[in-house]
Amino acid sequence: MKFASLFKKELREMLSPQTIIMLVFVLIVMVGLSGMVNGAMDEAQEESSKITICDLDDTDFSRSVIKFLKTPTADMKNDVKIIKLESDDYAKEINRLGLKSFIVVPEGFTESVNKGEQAKLIYVSKMTSLSTMSNVNSGSETAVTLIEAAVKSALYTDKVSKGQLTEDEVTQLNSPVDVQEQTIVGGKSANISQLILYSASYSQTMLMPLVVYMLILLGSQTMINAVAAEKLDKTLETLLSAPVSRISVLSAKMLAAAVVALLNAVVYMLGMNNMTSGVSSSLPDNYTEMAKQLGLNFTTTTYVMIGAQMLVSTLIALSVSIILGAFAKSVKSSQMLSMPILFITVVPFMVSMFMDISSLPGAVRYLLYAIPFTHTFMASDCILFGKTSLYVGGLIYQIIFLIVCMAIALKIFTSDKIFTASETRIFGKKKKHAEAD
Amino acid sequence: MENSQENIVLRVEGLSKAYKKGVFASKDVSFSVKKGEIFALIGPNGAGKTTTIRMIATLLKPTEGDALVDGNSIISAPEKVRRCLTYLPDEAGAYKNMKGRQYLRFMADMYADNKQQSAEFVKRAEEICGLGERLDDKVESYSRGMIRKLLLARTIMSRPELAILDEPTSGLDIINALDIRRMIRSLAEQGMSFLLSSHNMLEIEYVSDRVGIIAKGNLLEVGTPAELLEKYGAENLEEVFERVVSSR
Repeated sequence: MKFASLFKKELREMLSPQTIIMLVFVLIVMVGLSGMVNGAMDEAQEESSKITICDLDDTDFSRSVIKFLKTPTADMKNDVKIIKLESDDYAKEINRLGLKSFIVVPEGFTESVNKGEQAKLIYVSKMTSLSTMSNVNSGSETAVTLIEAAVKSALYTDKVSKGQLTEDEVTQLNSPVDVQEQTIVGGKSANISQLILYSASYSQTMLMPLVVYMLILLGSQTMINAVAAEKLDKTLETLLSAPVSRISVLSAKMLAAAVVALLNAVVYMLGMNNMTSGVSSSLPDNYTEMAKQLGLNFTTTTYVMIGAQMLVSTLIALSVSIILGAFAKSVKSSQMLSMPILFITVVPFMVSMFMDISSLPGAVRYLLYAIPFTHTFMASDCILFGKTSLYVGGLIYQIIFLIVCMAIALKIFTSDKIFTASETRIFGKKKKHAEAD
Repeated sequence: MENSQENIVLRVEGLSKAYKKGVFASKDVSFSVKKGEIFALIGPNGAGKTTTIRMIATLLKPTEGDALVDGNSIISAPEKVRRCLTYLPDEAGAYKNMKGRQYLRFMADMYADNKQQSAEFVKRAEEICGLGERLDDKVESYSRGMIRKLLLARTIMSRPELAILDEPTSGLDIINALDIRRMIRSLAEQGMSFLLSSHNMLEIEYVSDRVGIIAKGNLLEVGTPAELLEKYGAENLEEVFERVVSSR
């Protein structure tokens, strides 16, 4: 009896209407997010059956290999597209044809097979993002495996009919094709596998979104608590009735919160860097050179550009927090007020990890672009993959957003709102009676 | 008391505040406070005292009317007004992670024009609050009475033209409340003007020179406690309040 009453009271305290609104919001976001991931998975599945091939060898054998690729199996049916290349500048060709990847069967392929040598095969792929779903296996990559199997099968049939196999022939059969992988980034190309490049780059850049995430959340939480505490302790009334400019009060708060957020970010970055140093030391020898060749290396300019967006994002989070903090009615409610920031940070953070946001369908893409933090999560991708206009546009949008938020925060601080606002105006019904005493 | 124009520190003229259209928390309030005078607004909770005070302290913008503090309008020159007054909100706190002395220094910096003046303000506040060595302790360790004394010292350390004190003794024990009342009385005798608000009418009767009775946002009566007691044939201000409200 007593326990039931206690339990009901605790539940009522913890499961407030605001909490329920937030839970519904989380559910909607998670359903939307899983829908997007599933869509991207379906697209990736479809992509893995699309094979684009250029047959420069053009022999009966190479044609039979292509025919083999077209043969449907029990669980897969490939869509094979034959292309003609105008030059051997693969970066130019992949962009001209608007492809993600293609295979080149070079001249002399059949001759190498017949001579018992490893036959050269060129696999060209284009990298546009560091997100997980943008780097899943393409159809052409699948085709490399199928071609290897086709060559193996042809060789076996031939050799077995001639009697015993030699040692060299066994070696050839174990690795009949020498795949030369080429990755294209923008207009640049390098002889490195996209998968290796992705793994290595990811291990180096995975810290960035985490740091952004921590900066935004810690900064906003600090700021909301600071504003709410000042308001609830009425120290704000004392301060705002003193002969000091309200811009000074506001900017001092923002600067202090930014410093605390930066300190937090540095600590997290150092910790995470230490944790991932093991990953970096296991990178392939030629990675640095190849990454530089493709423009995927982090230069001072890259860091400055990412840093600029991080700073603007942090300032946006702080100014939004000032606005939200002004609505706090109690210490407990100030915690709840940080929820909107948490969710609009989590969504682009999660999506950017799995998908290339710039390649998402229109409505979803613009919805994500509307969240100012999205542009900071996309900053590395935009800078490394030459999406300069997207980076600049994002930064301009963030600056405009910041100016608007600052103007609203200042308006609140210079008006009655700072003393009369309460969170019921954000989350629930309005107060029925005016504050009167 | 005689009303001479040059001695008036605060003149409130038809001050109104509506939080919602047509719903007034404070309506057409007019009164004045002279130099060295203690003027008290009395009324029950929700009467409109704090709203009126917050408008004068430039924290809320009036819907109608104006108030002049030392000749400066709260609407057209709020920055100048803030230089002339200090405000002690009801149930206000101080920064808990600061030591008492640090808090006084911080607030002195807000009002002083230079370091020397700031140091003078702090010294004065230290003497007024009487907290002695406890000023080196963090505010979070203070009792409610100690915090109120610290805040009151902060309010008057810069010797403002007008000190606004909202419920100055609310929640304090008898000894602390008496200390604070005596302090206010003594500072008024030295020439400082006070605008107080309280729902404790007996306290106001003891400390104030003139009172304004406010109910439902309307200022119903203004006069010295003696004048009001005589006018309404009452024994104390509570009875005056009851009769004023029932006669309207």
